[in-house]
Amino acid sequence: MANARVIIKRRKSVRNIRKITRTMQLIATARFQAAFSRAVAARPYVERMTELVADISNAVEGEISHPLIKPRENAKHSALLVITSNRGLCGGFNANVLRKATAHLAESPDTDVFMVGKKGVNYFRFLKRDMAERITDLGDLPRFDQVEPYANRFMEGFAKGQWASVHVCYMRFHSVTRQTPEALRLLPLSAAPATDAKKLVPRKDVQYEYSPAPAELLAELLPATARIRLFQCFIDAAVGEQVARMVAMKAATDAASDMITSLTRRYNRARQTQITMELLDIVSGANALA
Amino acid sequence: MAATTSTFHCAVITPERVILDCEAQSVMFPAHDGEMGILTHRAPLVCKLGVGTLRVETGGQKQLFLIDGGFAQMLNNRLSILTQFAQKSSEIQPGDAEKTLSKAREIKIRDEASLEARTRAFRRAQIQLKLARSA
Repeated sequence: MANARVIIKRRKSVRNIRKITRTMQLIATARFQAAFSRAVAARPYVERMTELVADISNAVEGEISHPLIKPRENAKHSALLVITSNRGLCGGFNANVLRKATAHLAESPDTDVFMVGKKGVNYFRFLKRDMAERITDLGDLPRFDQVEPYANRFMEGFAKGQWASVHVCYMRFHSVTRQTPEALRLLPLSAAPATDAKKLVPRKDVQYEYSPAPAELLAELLPATARIRLFQCFIDAAVGEQVARMVAMKAATDAASDMITSLTRRYNRARQTQITMELLDIVSGANALA
Repeated sequence: MAATTSTFHCAVITPERVILDCEAQSVMFPAHDGEMGILTHRAPLVCKLGVGTLRVETGGQKQLFLIDGGFAQMLNNRLSILTQFAQKSSEIQPGDAEKTLSKAREIKIRDEASLEARTRAFRRAQIQLKLARSA
């Protein structure tokens, strides 16, 4: 008797958990769609920007020199921005990013860490590692004007020679089924675009009219490129978080369903055993009286 | 082709979304050193933008936008306005200009860059107010 009731109780609690995880899965799906459509909306800007940089670099004669391109060997410190989520229950999302970040830090210990997201902040606090800054006030969908000040600060610090390099550790979004943690070098700026855009073929035949001169334009374009690259990292991370949560909650819901099935089976068997036992009791009692 | 019917493609793109994507007869944008007008079949151009009003004429209608910085690229009858900030005149709320103004006042002048940022923010507020009144 007691056994069957215990199983029923357990099944009930698993059912309740399934309700919660299923709801969270639905919410994550909705959030994912919002984040994804934003990621898609941001793409044209990046593509045009990369195209422009490629075109103008062609027009600039000789070596391009700009403070954001020049590597700085003499600076001791470097900076690392780690993008994690504010909320948990999203599978290995944060763990993967943080593993990548700690691996990066093991290689270059003199690094100022800028941590985005409560999960990362808590982890580094647990490790007792100092963070230069904790950023937990960005919402689910970071806006460009929220990201821009950080990009400006990194560029300023780098140009002043405070940091040898600036890296961003984040979850790169390739497709719904594939995201990989990555440590992207934001500064010094590399020529390769951050996007998967097809190899840019320099269009030598276009003769632009430039205003102001190409070199001056490039000096304006490069900071803009750095900003948009950083913004892309944030967008990717936002999409990745929702995907990870969606997958994690789907797995949890499925596991709960499986558990309910097996608990139901166990309950039925327990009930059957109980009935058999009672019947046996009655029959043997009756036999003893007869 | 008659001059009145010829159009070119015009897109206003910000980091967050594509604000405008249409065929236009003429476009006037604020370049870094003054206003610049674009008509169909203009020679390829790359230009730095300043703060100001962007006027797009499409099918007899005029659309106004506030833009702040960025780049314009004209190539093969396609004009791309890449800007960090763009707002359609009809989407400007009455309180927006005041908000921009108070933000501009908060910028402390420490060096040349912050002075420029402050002047720019003031200019943006001014244009926002102008557009809000005319809308």
